[in-house]
This record gives sequence, C-alpha cells and structure tokens, in this order.
Amino acid sequence: MEFLIGITGKDFVLTASDTSAARSITVMKSNEDKSCDLNKHNIMLYAGEAGDTVNFAEYIQRNVRLYGIRNGIELTPKAAATFTRKELATSLRSRHPYQVFLLIAGYDITTSSPHLYWIDYLGSSAEVPFAAHGYGAYYCLSILDRYHHPNLTLDEAKGLIKKCIDELNNRFIVNLSDFKIKVTDQDGIREITI
Amino acid sequence: MARRYDSRTTIFSPEGRLYQVEYAMEAISHAGTALGILASDGIVIAAEKKVTSKLLEQTTTSEKIYLLNDNVICGVAGITADANYLINYSRQIAQNYLYTYGEDIPVEQLVQRLCDLKQGYTQYGGLRPFGVSFIYAGHDSHYGFQLYHSDPSGNYGGWKATCIGANNASAQSLLKQDYKDEITLKEARELAAKVLSKTMDSTTLSSEKLEFATLSLNDEGKVSYHLYKPDEIDALLKDFDLGGAQDTPTTS
Amino acid sequence: MAGSYDRALTVFSPDGHLFQVEYALEAVRKGTCAVGVRGNDCVVLGVEKKSVLKLQDPRTVRKIVMLDDHVCMAFAGLNADARVLVNKARIECQSHRLTVEDPVTIEYITRYIAGVQQKYTQSGGVRPFGISTLIIGFDPNDEIPRLYQTDPSGIYSAWKANAIGRSSKTVREFLEKNYKEGLSKDETIKLTVKSLLEVVQTGAKNIEIALMTADSVIKNLEIEEVEAIVSEIEKEKEAEAEKKKKPTASTS
Repeated sequence: MEFLIGITGKDFVLTASDTSAARSITVMKSNEDKSCDLNKHNIMLYAGEAGDTVNFAEYIQRNVRLYGIRNGIELTPKAAATFTRKELATSLRSRHPYQVFLLIAGYDITTSSPHLYWIDYLGSSAEVPFAAHGYGAYYCLSILDRYHHPNLTLDEAKGLIKKCIDELNNRFIVNLSDFKIKVTDQDGIREITI
Repeated sequence: MARRYDSRTTIFSPEGRLYQVEYAMEAISHAGTALGILASDGIVIAAEKKVTSKLLEQTTTSEKIYLLNDNVICGVAGITADANYLINYSRQIAQNYLYTYGEDIPVEQLVQRLCDLKQGYTQYGGLRPFGVSFIYAGHDSHYGFQLYHSDPSGNYGGWKATCIGANNASAQSLLKQDYKDEITLKEARELAAKVLSKTMDSTTLSSEKLEFATLSLNDEGKVSYHLYKPDEIDALLKDFDLGGAQDTPTTS
Repeated sequence: MAGSYDRALTVFSPDGHLFQVEYALEAVRKGTCAVGVRGNDCVVLGVEKKSVLKLQDPRTVRKIVMLDDHVCMAFAGLNADARVLVNKARIECQSHRLTVEDPVTIEYITRYIAGVQQKYTQSGGVRPFGISTLIIGFDPNDEIPRLYQTDPSGIYSAWKANAIGRSSKTVREFLEKNYKEGLSKDETIKLTVKSLLEVVQTGAKNIEIALMTADSVIKNLEIEEVEAIVSEIEKEKEAEAEKKKKPTASTS
C-alpha cells in the first residue's frame, strides 16, 4: 500500500513518499518519513517489509557516509545506486534477504546532472527519467509518460506530482493522506510543500 | 611463540626509526629513474630501463610502466618482482571498485589502498617491506589529472612533477627549475626527455634505455593511454635533439 | 646494552621496559608538533606544517583530519601509520552510529583509538603504531569542549591543553605557564599559535589551525588569519621587551 515516486527535471529530481506506517489493515502512524539522506546530494526512498526497510536504509546510509568521510569526496548517484543494488543482490542470495523497494535520486555535481534510479528487492536497477513503487505506480506511470519531458521546470514537476496524487485520491481504494515531498538539486536536499 | 616473527618484522630502532624501511628506500635509489610530469592537458611518465640486451624482446614487455586501470598508469622503481605483486593487487582493487560502484576508481583511492598494503608490511605479518616506489598518473572526474608518488613506508603525496630511483635528487631539482604551472603535454614530454638525458648514466638516449607513456583525454573526453613504441621514442628523441637510435653521438 | 629484549617484538625487558613502545615514542618525538587547547566554548588544534615543496600538491598533505562530522584529530609521528589508524577510527564512528543511532562521544572514540594502539603493543608479530594523537570535539547534545590525547602505548587522557611531537615538552611547559580557565575563542586560538611559535621559527606559513565551536562546526583558519595573529603576538612581545627595558634603564 506504500507509494514512492520520483521525477527528474532539468536540473533537479523531485521525489515524494507517502507518510503512513501501517500494520495489517491498521494505520499506526501518519507522519513517517520514508526517505533518508545518503549524502548532501543523494537521497534514498524506501518501501517494503517494515523493519527491513529502515535497517537496510541505515546500513546503506552509514556506508555512504563512511565513504565520504574516508575519501574526502562523495559518491555520485550512479556509484551510490550501483553500491546499493549490489548489497541488495548479495542479500537476496543470503538466508534472510531484505524485502525493500528503493528509489535513489541524486544530483551529480561532477557532471551537473540529475539522476534517478529504480531498484527492487530482486536487485534489478534501472536509471529512469521518472519512477514509482507500490500500487500507486499503476495510476501514475501513464500520467508521467504523457506529461514528462527532460526539460521539466520545478513548477511543472510539482504540478505533475500533484496530478499523480490527485489521481490516487480519486481512484485508489486506500487513503494515503499525506506525502513528504523533497527536491534534490545543486544546493542539496530540501523538503517542500505543494 | 613470538620468536617465529622476531627477527623479520620491521621494528623500531632506539631512535624511533624503521631501518628496514630505510634500507628498502636505499635499494630503490639504485634502480632506474622514473619520472612523472603533470601537464594541463595530460600527464607524462618516462623511465630509464636498466636491463638492456640486444636479445631482449622490447615490444612485448614493458619493464617500468604499467596500466593499473583504464584511468591510471604507473611508473616503478625498485624490486620488479615486488612491483609485479603490487601492480596485480592494485588492478584487483580497481576492478573491485568498478564492480561495486560502476565507475572507475578515483586516483587517490587506488593510491591509498596500495599504500595501506605497503604500510601493513612495515607493521605486521613478519615480512619485509616492499622494495618499490611508484609514480602514479591518473584522471578522474573529481580532481582531473593527478600525479602521485608513494614509497615503501606507505607514505604518498600528490605532485606536479616528481621522480623516483637513481639520481632522483638531481632530477628533482632539474624539474623544479624548469617546471611551469601551465605546461602543456607536449612541453612536458620534452622536459621529461631532457631531465632523463641529464640524469642517466649513459650519455646517449635511445629507445633501448627508455620507456615513455602519456595519459590524455581524447575527443570524446575519455582517458587515453599511450605507451610509446621503440620507434616512436626514437622519433621523439630526434625531435628534441636528444639522440635516437641511429645517430648517437660518440662519447669522448 | 638492552641485549635481545629490544629486538623481540614488544616484550618486557628484565627491568620492566617495553622497548618497542619506547622507541615508537621516539618516532613520535621526531614528528612535527601538534597542539590542542580547550577554551570556554571552543577547542582548537594547531599543527606545525612542513613547508609544501614547490612541485607538491598541497591538497594531499594533511595533518588535521576529520574522524566524523563532529570529531577532529591531529597526529605526530609516522604518516602512513596515522592514515591506517584514522581509517579504523572512521569505520568505528559510522559503525557506532549504525548500532546505537548516536554519534560517538569524544571519549568513546579516543578510547577506541587507544585500544587499537594498545593491541599493537601486545599482539604477535606486530610493531606498535608510531604516532600520538590529539582528538578534539563536542559530545552530541553537549556544549563542553573536549580534548584527549593518545600515545603508542595505548594510554589516553583528557587535557585542558597539551602538545605532542617535536619539542612537545617545551610547548607543554609553555602551556602550563600560560593557560587560563575560560578562554574566549580568540584567546584560545592565540594561545595555540603562541605556543606553536615556541618551536616553529618560520611563522605563519608553517602553522595550520583548526577551530571547533559548540555547534561542532570545524573551521580551518586561512593563512592570512594566522599571519594576523602571529604579527599581533610579535607586536606584544616587542612591547613587553620595551617594558622590561625601561625599568632596568631607570634603575641604572
């Protein structure tokens, strides 16, 4: 029932995640942040088996931080995504695989370009212009396919996310009341409202 | 129990020095010179070959300059067998990085990993330190072209121009004299040849005694590595009026 | 004299000495000087920096390093040893955050580093680390500046102000004489520079200063800022010398 979405624009990536922590049919909490900053220019959104998600995200986050502090340079979005994918793929072949779905969004300061990676629990990874996880993806991908273009401005992207959320509220049986929306660009990661 | 390790591992002398490491460096100062020069549009590495024989097949093996990764090359001075081991190790490090992160390893990290291994051999394991110094030339998207130097102690540093091996002090002072900050790769090649011609024992320079390589960016912005073939080296030396294969000046 | 007891790896001599540890301390005494001073709401590290050679890349010469966002360390002794120890500490910092969700306290990471150093005085086939460290920072959610020191034996201790490395005794004596409680930010920096000037004759260009304030933000002082402080200190010294002269003149 969880929902993650990411859209790359001209010089940014806009990401959003729902904020409900549910167990079975009950919503336990409605202001959960399902994302974590990997470093200044990379953010990871996660969904999936409760517990697995946070545990895996923190593990990746600490490793990416360690890389930064050890080497004085930060991982690029591509490097962070490749690393994360490899950890998931290794986990899949262990006795207790992590069941997590991820979006990694980042701004590559070495090439000044935004990137978005879609990763699932099987360890498949793809760089994409836009992506979504969860049931919500069925409603949103067609919208994104119709309206997305590479030179999207931030305002256009905000409008697009709003369209997607409206569609969910209209069609989806589950009520996802609130979303945490973040922009990642040259200046780093910040939360916004639309 | 501990006796097994006793006499072999590097230990501190009463003055707080590591003699084994200092001796290893001494061994290197007899090896053929290798030097590197950082230019604005590339890097040149040049080295003097000590093993020369008419019977040696020159085109198949390089003795002093090696490719470590698509974006990093190195020049060596010291015990070649030790160098081979370390080169193999660093190639594995580089590939492992590529496997984990999907990108070429940043130059300094490769240098650092190799130096961590070198440092280890000065502190534990009951083995002697590695008897090699390296000059690394590389390129990455973080700091562009970079030149590093490392020694048997596991120390490393970044340089604009540096050299290792025999006569390194005089070569270093020649480099200091003639290096300019905005030097081009073409000028750097000439400077490298000039410095080697002055510091090498033999009076004549030829492809028999030299190895030469450059790292630069091609039209697509990709790193390209050029290891000069013997006839290319001779042609280069002729260009700079520093000798060449045929018309070698006689020694008086 | 010491017979075979200084050759075997770190075992007790009949009179109870651990020679390898003492020799490692000798290596520390050969290293460049580092000073740490605690102020009222800040803590400062100062190091004597060897002049960067003309052809060297200053980016790769580091004496003050970060262990985590809020912990900073300076060292004296063998560079390569320091790099390896720093790496271990950095891993521990992140690992600590991963297991208990909190950043390390300064004492915790000091204890960890000292623990690693101790292990290398008691394990088979290893020599001790040839470095002493000064570790500064602020504990999470805390405003008290912290300063710790570790040495090759694995001892660690907290200080108001201390020095390690070359001529550290002179500097420590100077600090003992001149340290006052409740120093302001500027006074702390000034005392650090002043104490370093006891052993650094060449002035600002060979001094590096890092300041950490209660927000755990580290600031490296620009060379101009250090220069300004040095000249201010020199002026004061001159004025003092003048003052001293006057009374003697009047008595004569």
